[in-house]
Amino acid sequence: MPDMSAIANPQQRQFNPYAENGGTILAVAGADFTVIAGDTRQSEGYSIQTRYASKVFRLTDRAVLAVNGFAADGNMFVKKVKQRLEWYRHNHAKDMPLRSIARLIQTMLYAQRFFPYYVYNILGGIEEDGTGAVYSFDPVGSYEREACRAAGAAQSLLQPFLDNQIYFKNQTAARGYSHPAHLPLPDVLSIVIDSFTSATERHIEVGDGLEMYIVMAKGQTLPDAVTNLLPEELPSTGDGERVFVLKRDLKKD
Amino acid sequence: MSIMDHNGGSVVAMAGKDCVAIASDLRLGAGAMTVAMNFEKIFPVTDRIYLGLTGLATDITTLRDRFRYLVNMFTIKESRSIEPSTFAHLVSSTLYSRRFGPYFTEPVLAGLERTPSGGFKPYIAGADLIGCLNFAEDFIVAGTASDKLFGVAEGLWEPDLGPEDLFETISQTLLNSVDRDAYSGWGAIVYIITPEKVITRTLKGRMD
Amino acid sequence: MATADGGAYSYSLTVFSPSGKLVQIEHALAAVSQGTTSLGIKASNGIVIATEKKSSSILIDDSMIEKVAVICPNIGIVYSGMGPDFRILVTKARKSAQAYWKIYGEYPPTRVLTQEIATVMQQATQSGGVRPYGVSLLVAGFDVNRGPTLYQVDPSGSFWAWKASAIGKNMTNAKTFLEKRYNDDISLEDAIHTALLTLKEGFEGQMTEKTIEIGVVTVPTIAELEEGKVGGTTGRVKPTFRKLTEEEVRDYLAL
Repeated sequence: MPDMSAIANPQQRQFNPYAENGGTILAVAGADFTVIAGDTRQSEGYSIQTRYASKVFRLTDRAVLAVNGFAADGNMFVKKVKQRLEWYRHNHAKDMPLRSIARLIQTMLYAQRFFPYYVYNILGGIEEDGTGAVYSFDPVGSYEREACRAAGAAQSLLQPFLDNQIYFKNQTAARGYSHPAHLPLPDVLSIVIDSFTSATERHIEVGDGLEMYIVMAKGQTLPDAVTNLLPEELPSTGDGERVFVLKRDLKKD
Repeated sequence: MSIMDHNGGSVVAMAGKDCVAIASDLRLGAGAMTVAMNFEKIFPVTDRIYLGLTGLATDITTLRDRFRYLVNMFTIKESRSIEPSTFAHLVSSTLYSRRFGPYFTEPVLAGLERTPSGGFKPYIAGADLIGCLNFAEDFIVAGTASDKLFGVAEGLWEPDLGPEDLFETISQTLLNSVDRDAYSGWGAIVYIITPEKVITRTLKGRMD
Repeated sequence: MATADGGAYSYSLTVFSPSGKLVQIEHALAAVSQGTTSLGIKASNGIVIATEKKSSSILIDDSMIEKVAVICPNIGIVYSGMGPDFRILVTKARKSAQAYWKIYGEYPPTRVLTQEIATVMQQATQSGGVRPYGVSLLVAGFDVNRGPTLYQVDPSGSFWAWKASAIGKNMTNAKTFLEKRYNDDISLEDAIHTALLTLKEGFEGQMTEKTIEIGVVTVPTIAELEEGKVGGTTGRVKPTFRKLTEEEVRDYLAL
């Protein structure tokens, strides 16, 4: 017997074009380097879709973009940014500067103001003046340059920790001393690793693997403490900035 | 917005070496509006037990009075002071007795438990609003900044901290967490409980 | 008004006699003193409670009779007087112990449980339509606050702590015997033998594992106590009160 209630009662169906795929990203700017990191777990609800899906992508020799939120939008957005950067190279015979990439990302995000990419972006790299920089964005393109930023599922767990450890918030320097404006690379890396192990411990959507991109300013070499960690150097086009990748396992439960 | 978030406020407790600490912010709000900056959420239960209550302010006050009554009755009837583990179960059963019309509060307790050999053992515990107990060996968090507290505490806490190091750890954890929470902050208070004495310190925090 | 049967005051127990007595309570005590002898001795490392178990016919299966009752893992009781009244009190005491466990996650200290039973017994001396319980009890238990303790509860609802006591038939003789035998540093093993000797004084018939019931409180070591606290939420508490098996009673009688 056919179900008559379907005829009797009005029904509504809706397609939801968005999903939330968990994970978390983080970037810290140093004086002459930037670290951009993200975990590699991709989940939907309580299910893990994959334990290895990158959220951090190299754009140029001096720019790395981390995307977090709806993975499909994130991947498509990175693809489009990369395409725009390639056109820029063809037109100008050079890589786009970091601050211009940041502005480009704003424009691209705001272009979708009424059907946004459901993605939180963090752009990290080296500015034209050789300083490390982090730009963070909301899904519709509001952005700001900062020294550090966490985003994604564990943002609320990590950001206050970074405030404390990077900005020295609520810490008073000893009389006659002041807190450093930028931390050295080994310190930043241990804070990043600690942050992700903490987030993995307390957030179910964070874990599996950790990818840390290190962008070094022109003429800078890695400190020995970091070289000992055996980072992989990505091939670069010129003799300027260098990009390294450092991978770590995170708990898989 | 949940009724648990209406008044705002957060509590954290941590275990150290032969000591425990419990700390809270001082804000009392009504939604986004701050009403008072001197609303304490931690109450002494015995010389060695402190109870922190987060959630709906009226229930915090009511439960504080109710537990004072229950503990006084226990102390008189049994002519001994209640131990933290016993008090934790009292909290749990009191909250569960209102299973289907709960007090909107999440308790956190910190104390030193007397051991059979005559020493003291750090004891911290938390519960949800219907009394499901959580015995952690490191730290317990509750309130509107609980997710932030989890993140910072997980990063800063380490085992076997002495009273002064534990004070620094819990203070930094609380201050940095409430600074990222619009519903918590406006000053803080910390209690360090050691076998010899209880140290109370009021902290200056951001007032915005 | 005054008659040979005790007069008007003997019916309603809520009414005092002019001499200030509640005569129903006195009658209850008389019922107790007709009951079989029970006794308890506190030793340096534990407590023994023991009783004589008499059946009116050899045809009764005496393994059914239980006069020493476990109330909770740390407390046991024994009685002299009316068996059915005891059964009701055991049920109430067990419920009270479980209710305490439900609130505090641990079993009651001996004194608290004793007080709870005593309150039940007192209420039966003041309520309308009921009679007092026709039993005296010996409550033996262990708790970390007071260690091993032995209490006696009477039908009036009054209770005291004892080092050693006896109730029921021959209680006066038994107490005199205990006074002679008791010292503060007696061991549990010695106390069990003293208990058997005391019972033997007024025993009618053969003392066997079938006609004796013994319960003991053993004081746990500090190591055992520390262990007991671990996993206290899920793991069961290690009992400090237990009844001796017939085999154990037989071995003690053989010595």
